Amino acid sequence: MSMSERKLTPDLFRPANLDSGKSEEISKPSLSFWQDAFRRLRKNKGAMIGLFAIVFIIVFSLIAPSLSKYGMDDQELMRANLPPKIPGLEKVGFLGVDGVDIRGVDQYEMKNVPKDQNFWFGTDTLGRDQWVRVWKGTQISLYIAFLAATIDLIVGVAYGGISAFYGGRLDNVMQRIVEVLVGIPNLVVIILFIIILDPGILSITLALVITGWIGMSRIVRAQILSLKSREFVLASKTLGSSNGRLITKHLLPNTLGAIIITSTFTIPGAIFFEAFLSFIGLGIQPPTASLGALISDGFRSLRIYPHLAIYPASIMCILMISFNLLGDGLRDALDPKMRR
Amino acid sequence: MLRYITKRVFAMLLTLLIIATITFFLMKLLPGSPFNNQEKLSESQRYALNEKYGLNDPVPVQYINYLGKLAQGDLGYTFQFDGRTVNSMIVNGMGPSATVGFEALLFGTLVGLVLGIVAALRHNSFIDYGAMILAVFGIAIPSFVFAGLLQYYVGVKLEWLPVAFWNGPEYHILPAFSLSVGVIATVARFMRTEMLEILGTDYILMARSKGISKNAVIIKHCVRNSMIPIITILGPMAIALITGSLVIENIFAIPGIGEQFVKSINLNDYPVIMGTTLFYSFLIVVIILIVDILYGIIDPRIRVAGGKS
Repeated sequence: MSMSERKLTPDLFRPANLDSGKSEEISKPSLSFWQDAFRRLRKNKGAMIGLFAIVFIIVFSLIAPSLSKYGMDDQELMRANLPPKIPGLEKVGFLGVDGVDIRGVDQYEMKNVPKDQNFWFGTDTLGRDQWVRVWKGTQISLYIAFLAATIDLIVGVAYGGISAFYGGRLDNVMQRIVEVLVGIPNLVVIILFIIILDPGILSITLALVITGWIGMSRIVRAQILSLKSREFVLASKTLGSSNGRLITKHLLPNTLGAIIITSTFTIPGAIFFEAFLSFIGLGIQPPTASLGALISDGFRSLRIYPHLAIYPASIMCILMISFNLLGDGLRDALDPKMRR
Repeated sequence: MLRYITKRVFAMLLTLLIIATITFFLMKLLPGSPFNNQEKLSESQRYALNEKYGLNDPVPVQYINYLGKLAQGDLGYTFQFDGRTVNSMIVNGMGPSATVGFEALLFGTLVGLVLGIVAALRHNSFIDYGAMILAVFGIAIPSFVFAGLLQYYVGVKLEWLPVAFWNGPEYHILPAFSLSVGVIATVARFMRTEMLEILGTDYILMARSKGISKNAVIIKHCVRNSMIPIITILGPMAIALITGSLVIENIFAIPGIGEQFVKSINLNDYPVIMGTTLFYSFLIVVIILIVDILYGIIDPRIRVAGGKS
């Protein structure tokens, strides 16, 4: 309405001051690549939710077991198979944390559990506190996954880097080896390896690493090969940089994005394979348990005691989804070209 | 092209030989004996059993014999049942395994394609976001967790479908569906990116400006061109299906190869473990080979790049 009322007279206008010096000025503070990437990552809602969920689960898996007075393998058959009960939330029916089992019997009353004893995730068939077992299991699953990802990273970066940096015949030989290894299905190798070595945290990690590093090495090799022929590397070389300086100052920092993205996807892969091994009976052996082992145990009595499988399964799903979301977000933030 | 194929076939044979060798020697390192009630057997009985299965020969001789039989497609005898061959066990298990795998692949690909196409056409809409959230879930959640939950809610609680076993068509639905979730998610995501890329190209604009109807452009140009790269994910997808089938068959008690394999792992049945491992490797290696060759035929650019590397 004001548009039509206001008269536009020439004296309202005045020529803009054209200062050639000022127009060249950069108005915003310049961002480094990592600041820029982080800004992009922060805008990605899915990735941020994923990141928070991961941090939350990691922190919880570390502190939660100490919230219960029971240990991982404190058995007490008198309190076996108790459904979950969380004081304060008992009235909220749909959560199912009122200590009543699926037949509608209050197991806590029936088994004469003292009033002050509550098992937040219930107890398993041997009366062990499922809360402690689930979070300890999360710890172990995460430990295996991070260990596998770290070893993958070290071996993969070293192999791919050496292969690409020195090139020539060495590269040829190393790539022929990789070609043969890639052809071997990792499922087969992992299963065979676990059969030979006794299943344990270390052997599972090793089995995961044996085929896992190949993907990383291929990505690092491709990156370094393309970086090697770029002008800034050539310039640095001409100025007399040593190989060590070239690698640590130019090649590795520029490959870091791809390395981080690949690692983020390695971790859920490792969690999955560990759970998979537990499922076919080659996983962590009792009394220790990982998420996969707990789920696999829980599925056996799913009809009667659903709580045994539901909690570890949900934590595992949240972890897997979070890592995938974070990985997608990181990929978009660090390397928009890699998007697929 | 012929040279490329010959080269690839040779590489495949070498890979298989290496797998066979690794499998054989790893099996030799295994602790424990394959025979039940080892302690109750007398010395001579044990000797006779070992003799029967050729376990008394020196390891190199066993290895040569093994390779020789392998070349004829003979995987040996199982230790579990008297006189049954590993071949017959694999052939018996193949029916259910292949059926479930095929149903999952077919259903997954169809649903995934539709989901991906719709998501791309309604880019940045509610449908697009919904489909992509579903896809992330499908990729992230392991098929066995999904299978267990389905079994519990659909099978046990609602009693709509049989919980387990393999007695008719209605028994296929739950296992095939749980296996197909990963396929749906992968295909949908792939198809969406591919479609979005092609929708933005000039030749789609050209076709539209020539007056071809929107539907015709989408079906004839867009979808057909987007489907070519799907072939590349068939290989990894087949591997994922095989991995998934190992646990899915156990959860739903399907008498397939995967169930047999897991059982033989727990029973130390070496010949079955070795045979099934080789069978799986063969399957995977051949699928990857076929996928590569197919892709080379369809898209000549790949062939050139593949020939050099």
